[in-house]
Amino acid sequence: MLTVPLTTLVPEYIKKFETYIPSRPDPELMKLYQVDHLWRLNNNENPLGPPEGSARIIEQFPPKRSSIYPSGDSYYLRVKLAERFDLDPDQIIFGNGANEAIAFVIKAFCQEGDNIITADKTFAVYEWVAEFSGFEARLVPLKDFGFDDEQMLARIDERTKILFVCNPNNPTGTYWDEPKLRRFLDTVAGRQIVVVDEAYCEFVEAPDYPDGMKLFKEYPNLVTFRTFSKMYALAGLRIGYLAGSRDVVDVIRRTCIVYSVNGLAQEAALAAIGDDEHVARTRRHVNVEKSYLLRELAALGLETHAGEGCYVMVKLPMSDTLVYRRLMAKGVMIRTMTGFRFPNWIRVSIGVHEAMEAFITSLGEILAEGNNG
Amino acid sequence: MQSGVKMQDRKTDIRLSVETDIKFLPLVLSFSESSSRIFGLQDADALRLTLASEEVFAYLCRMTKDPKQVTLTMVNGFYYALLTFAFEGIDFDPRAFNLTANVSPDEEGLEEMGLLIAARSVDRMSIFHNAMEGTGFALIKEKTYPAADPWRSEEVPRADGVTFGSPDAEEIKVFVRSIAGGYSSFVYPQDFRYPGKVVDMVQSGEYGVLTAREPKGGIAGGMVWRSSGTSMIECYGPYIFVEEGRAGLAERLVAELISAVARSEAVCLMNRYATDDLPPGYFETLGTIDFALAGEKRPWKFLFRQLREDPGCRVYSHAGMEDFLKSQYKKHFLARQIVPVAYEGERQNPHSVFGAAFQQNQDLVVLLPLWDGADARENLARHIEALRAEGIANILLRIDLGHGWQARLYPVIEAGGFTPSIVIPYRGKADCVLFTLKG
Repeated sequence: MLTVPLTTLVPEYIKKFETYIPSRPDPELMKLYQVDHLWRLNNNENPLGPPEGSARIIEQFPPKRSSIYPSGDSYYLRVKLAERFDLDPDQIIFGNGANEAIAFVIKAFCQEGDNIITADKTFAVYEWVAEFSGFEARLVPLKDFGFDDEQMLARIDERTKILFVCNPNNPTGTYWDEPKLRRFLDTVAGRQIVVVDEAYCEFVEAPDYPDGMKLFKEYPNLVTFRTFSKMYALAGLRIGYLAGSRDVVDVIRRTCIVYSVNGLAQEAALAAIGDDEHVARTRRHVNVEKSYLLRELAALGLETHAGEGCYVMVKLPMSDTLVYRRLMAKGVMIRTMTGFRFPNWIRVSIGVHEAMEAFITSLGEILAEGNNG
Repeated sequence: MQSGVKMQDRKTDIRLSVETDIKFLPLVLSFSESSSRIFGLQDADALRLTLASEEVFAYLCRMTKDPKQVTLTMVNGFYYALLTFAFEGIDFDPRAFNLTANVSPDEEGLEEMGLLIAARSVDRMSIFHNAMEGTGFALIKEKTYPAADPWRSEEVPRADGVTFGSPDAEEIKVFVRSIAGGYSSFVYPQDFRYPGKVVDMVQSGEYGVLTAREPKGGIAGGMVWRSSGTSMIECYGPYIFVEEGRAGLAERLVAELISAVARSEAVCLMNRYATDDLPPGYFETLGTIDFALAGEKRPWKFLFRQLREDPGCRVYSHAGMEDFLKSQYKKHFLARQIVPVAYEGERQNPHSVFGAAFQQNQDLVVLLPLWDGADARENLARHIEALRAEGIANILLRIDLGHGWQARLYPVIEAGGFTPSIVIPYRGKADCVLFTLKG
């Protein structure tokens, strides 16, 4: 039998990497945990589904169309978004989910010896992409559950290329208001790229929340990330984008992968843009269910933290990863927070009311049974 | 968290490729001695590793009619030198790797005497065989370090205003001396008797140390962790030196430690040496084994937590231990697909190998099946006999349910007098089962 000489073919640095194994598909998890249903409260997905226009596109997508290549750079989407945000279409780059956009930016600006700065307890992908690419990720501890602007600025040196701010932060839901973001950008003074990840911006109703898309003229070093996965419920189609000043985006475009966004995703996203009624309906749902959740969790005697966004953090008196397994055995899937460096916390996404009730009932039973530790 | 001692670059590995022709022996000896000295082994240690390399190379030459290529790599492990012999297409009998191996007077036995001498000359010798590294032998010789006296600060530190971080080399030494001065040897690893070794282990990336430092610099407490394979991290502590505010400091240390390793490649964390200050709620108890130590029975709690959400996994099991596994998986809410395995008359290698990991401060040996073979039953019995003759009070055996051949060994293990006691999730390729020896 032919054998592949992996000892010589594989570079030494790749030998040191562990394979990332994503969660198994729901039917497999249900089989393993021996449950006949699974409430998904782990990925901050929109329980109401996509906007009506997008749903119609997906339902009616002609199978024959799948044989045709999509627009390689999501042309019509960029044109429509540019109109909406008063930008040039070339200020926007689409990716196969916002994760791909993170990789584009890091690849565009970092080289050996450079570093990026972000928070220690935030969305992990900024840190992961930097570290896997061989760049230092400088992690600044959160202050009162929020990004610490002063400490982030203090960690900048001559090799710092990018500062990542998650606004509102996943998982804490805290946000920088417009004056704070402006002060930060003023201090950076264009010397580094500032990425503001606005994946959950459509859930924020606070009037002082800044709209990064309006700041590019004043701050050409600002790049924003947005996604169709959360509010617009197109997570399964993988589509997100970044925007910034023309010069900066031109540089990022040199590293980006064309044709990575499929045709169905592009058409569904196109139909979602401007559906303000969908946004309003989702916000109402999140507000109602978040209030219910916080009330019930307080009744269970649990500490919670909830800011903006479609999720709530809960502190448990036992291991979050143990509670994950016990909830899975009852058909409820949540996100453990150890990986966010919040050991013994979980993050619960806002789902349909029945799912919220199932979560509260199941968690109540687990707490009553106690910890085995 | 600020980093004190940095992990060093290991680009300095040194390599030599030669053919298995005895005329190259002087070159091999020169390589082994010179490179081990470069990496810090002193005279006696360097000579022992050189002697081992001579025996291994001579053995490989005897095993090959036509010369084959063998690559020697000397790796700087900071507290040890690791010498590997990687080769392809050389048949060898692994039985000399057994703790109980002895040489029979027949010709075949004499051929393996060299490997036996090599194994006895170094601290650890093992076989590797996998797609990435290929096949070969690995020999480890540790540096010799002076043992330090335990130490206790005259001034009791305070928990107020502490900051958490990685200590520098001198702080590490103070920290481990303080542990030895304040705690029973049952709750810290043997390495802590040698502060210089701990510094080198931190530098090599094998150990991590986290301390809580007072504003004026004193160490109020800390924890230590060590990678144990790719999927598991072991931690020790929390070690607390303050009198007031112990519980709060212990909880902050545990949370900081978990956060420090949360985004590592490991999927699980075990607390191998827990102290009485360990806060509730952070670890699950997988089970307890009664330990005999200095004539007394002491319970050893197996404390575990996952660092990631459990995706479930597939494990191999012999029918004889399936009920035990099912009950454990139910008790700990672990989703597992059990795949039955059994020996069905297929061809086996003649000789098996069992590894033995010693923990002297706990009077403990953990046996590990390393190589499948038809003589496994007799070989295991010989190991037990030898360990009992040595007076080892606690003999355990661990198998990895990710390897079908290890699960298939269950009847051999049972016949050896072992009973399954604890399942450790993801301890190996999949879950591991720890067996205790009856009587």
